[in-house]
Amino acid sequence: MVNGPKLAVEGISCVFDGTPALNEVDLTLGRGQFVSIVGPSGCGKSTLFNIVSGLIQPTSGRVLLDGQEVTGETGHVGYMLQKDLLVPWRTVIGNIVLGAALTRGTTRADKQEAARLAARYGLGDFLNHYPHALSGGMRQRVALMRTLALRADVLLLDEPFGALDSQTRLDMQMWLLSVCQDLNMTILFVTHDVDEAIFLSDRVAVMTGRPGSIAATIEVDLPRPRGIDTLTTAEFTELKRRALGLLHRPATTSAPAEQGSMP
Amino acid sequence: MRGRGRILVWIERLGLAAAGIGLIFGLWNLVIVIFGLQPFVLPTPQSAVSAIVDNWSALGTLTWQTVKETVDGFVLGAVVGFVLAVVMSLFRPVQRLIYPALITSQAVPIVAIAAPLVILLGFGMLPKLIIVAWIVFFPVVVNVLDGLAHIDDDLIRLAKVMGAHRAREFLQIRLPATLSPLFSGLKIGATYAVTGAVIGEWTASSQQGLGTYLLTANSSLDVQAVFGVTLLLTAIGVLSFLFVMGVEAFATPWRTRSTSRRRFVP
Repeated sequence: MVNGPKLAVEGISCVFDGTPALNEVDLTLGRGQFVSIVGPSGCGKSTLFNIVSGLIQPTSGRVLLDGQEVTGETGHVGYMLQKDLLVPWRTVIGNIVLGAALTRGTTRADKQEAARLAARYGLGDFLNHYPHALSGGMRQRVALMRTLALRADVLLLDEPFGALDSQTRLDMQMWLLSVCQDLNMTILFVTHDVDEAIFLSDRVAVMTGRPGSIAATIEVDLPRPRGIDTLTTAEFTELKRRALGLLHRPATTSAPAEQGSMP
Repeated sequence: MRGRGRILVWIERLGLAAAGIGLIFGLWNLVIVIFGLQPFVLPTPQSAVSAIVDNWSALGTLTWQTVKETVDGFVLGAVVGFVLAVVMSLFRPVQRLIYPALITSQAVPIVAIAAPLVILLGFGMLPKLIIVAWIVFFPVVVNVLDGLAHIDDDLIRLAKVMGAHRAREFLQIRLPATLSPLFSGLKIGATYAVTGAVIGEWTASSQQGLGTYLLTANSSLDVQAVFGVTLLLTAIGVLSFLFVMGVEAFATPWRTRSTSRRRFVP
């Protein structure tokens, strides 16, 4: 199955209390690919995430990892949210090894590995700090290190930088790009920031809501490594124009419906 | 330099605390002077203190007895409260079953149940322990239960995605999350525990303690001794609170420190 897709989502539909949340979502990620999902809030992005991570059983459809069906099973992918969810009583090192602590108990080797990861990605001076003593950007780095330490090669990142100021966010995006480049991770990334999606991804899937489905995908063929200069190229602007067009075209027609379905 | 700054901060804090207590004693003296109160109506704090010091040979053992009741009852109440809270959080039906009973238990006037407890359990240590524990366990149950209920659902979900075992999730996430609320409950309990011990002694006094001494002093209108013992009891309450606070600072270092005491060196 080495040549098949790393992660495949096939015909996923999900209905909550009679209300369809997702409708026939298909998505494939090749090994080492970075794919972003953009869409308005409430379009079912997070539901899709919870299905891929195994937290929710879809009404129909399958999730395949390396060709193996893992629908409804947890423990296969790394998962990170906008909230860093660091445990306040554990130090940076302690938080990075949380996955091991929760499954089999931590060893000195786990901590050593965590310290290596931390040092390599700019947290070397903070190994013994408690989370409350760190800035928001730092905390998100720790959260990503914790996700990486799980040794899952597929990561689901749900608006991980959504709570950061734009300066820090750009720093974190470039940092994430360098981490991905290093570790050849397969990443599914959710955001509502079109710039972020294009800057990071190989492919951007535009989702529309109620029920959530993928309206279109845009291939991002900007050369890597990408830097700040990438953000101002003509190619970038053209991709952004297309993405925004796709995002806002359905919004004009479905806006009244969206209001009508407010709880 | 940082160490020195920290000492200065502590001196300032201790100074302010002492000034606050000094203010109370100052007002006390002021009231006596302004209203021209006689010593048998309201003795000065100085004479109340000297009533303790002069009589320490007798009061020492009594104090020890009361402290023992307070501490033992406190520990009993804390353990019972903590275990109850954990069991209640693990089994929702148990919680629904006994939460109303717990609230009812606190609505019962403690003085009223003291006598029946003595009739039921005799004049020994036991009824006193139960009365102290009765007062202490409640804030512990309520706070710990609250702490367990307020654990972020997303954190539990994250643990699930990581493939966490239930037992490990409990030990690594739920249990540590109870520590801060536990200490909030313990601090409230620590200040009330002494009152429980005194009430216990008032009803069941086979063993002499500060409570029984207070009773004797009261009936012989020895106002100085009454105030002296009251000060002593207050001091026990304050010291209990400070002790719990000290243990808290040690047990929950992440609340006050920015780095861990135990350093990991790769």
